[in-house]
Amino acid sequence: MPKRLSEMEFGTTGTVMEIRASSRQINALGIRVGKELRMITKQPIRGPVVVTVREVGVAMGLELASEIIMDVRSE
Amino acid sequence: MSCCGCCNNGCTAVRDIEKTGTILLVGNPNVGKSALFNRLTGADATVSNYPGTTVDYTEGKILIKNIHYTVIDVPGAYSLEARDRAEEVAVNMLGEHRDATVVIVLDATRLERGLYIALETIERGYRVVVALNMMDMARDRGISTDQKKISDLLGVPVVQTSATGGEGIKQLADMVTQARSSDVNEILARATGGR
Repeated sequence: MPKRLSEMEFGTTGTVMEIRASSRQINALGIRVGKELRMITKQPIRGPVVVTVREVGVAMGLELASEIIMDVRSE
Repeated sequence: MSCCGCCNNGCTAVRDIEKTGTILLVGNPNVGKSALFNRLTGADATVSNYPGTTVDYTEGKILIKNIHYTVIDVPGAYSLEARDRAEEVAVNMLGEHRDATVVIVLDATRLERGLYIALETIERGYRVVVALNMMDMARDRGISTDQKKISDLLGVPVVQTSATGGEGIKQLADMVTQARSSDVNEILARATGGR
């Protein structure tokens, strides 16, 4: 089901459906539509999230993460 | 008149006719640019403060095939559309050295991510050599990279290196003189097989 990347639970996996922020900037981090991401770290107090793209960790602020729409796989 | 080669640092009279060039080391943060820089330039590194920013870059010298190159260790960047000060410095340095040879440093263990700025650099017309760095770590993790295929696809020379282990440094230095520019549309056509 569609969810913002910022709302993904720890340990869940999903596919990038839509990038609402500047896609060029997010693309540069290796995240593109169709890529599979796994949420591996969520920091408290609206801190950054870390996801893995093909085993490569990418950290980003929650604000940026909220502009990436994911199709989260149901566990 | 040319330099007699009898000395290392004299020849001030003929200094102005020596062949010179600039090498920029460009790539994502933490791919080993600085380690590679130290390998290429030896202990002759000097740290400079880039005006107008708080981000430092490092500059050194290397002599390759009688050309005196200034090697610049550009701050790490994910793209050439700057998002922070370090990336701004990287973009500005590329802008100021249009004739430079760019060594794109890729982390062989995170190859895909580095290709973005590699393509951006190629798109801007620079003569490029790709250093597939951290090869030792890639091998340890069972990651294999097809150097020839990457070179064929990108249309630029590719050298496998391990800055920490000293692998491929000589080859990289030799390859600098064979850096080439390439065409992103042709790269796209090759990568998609004309689809």
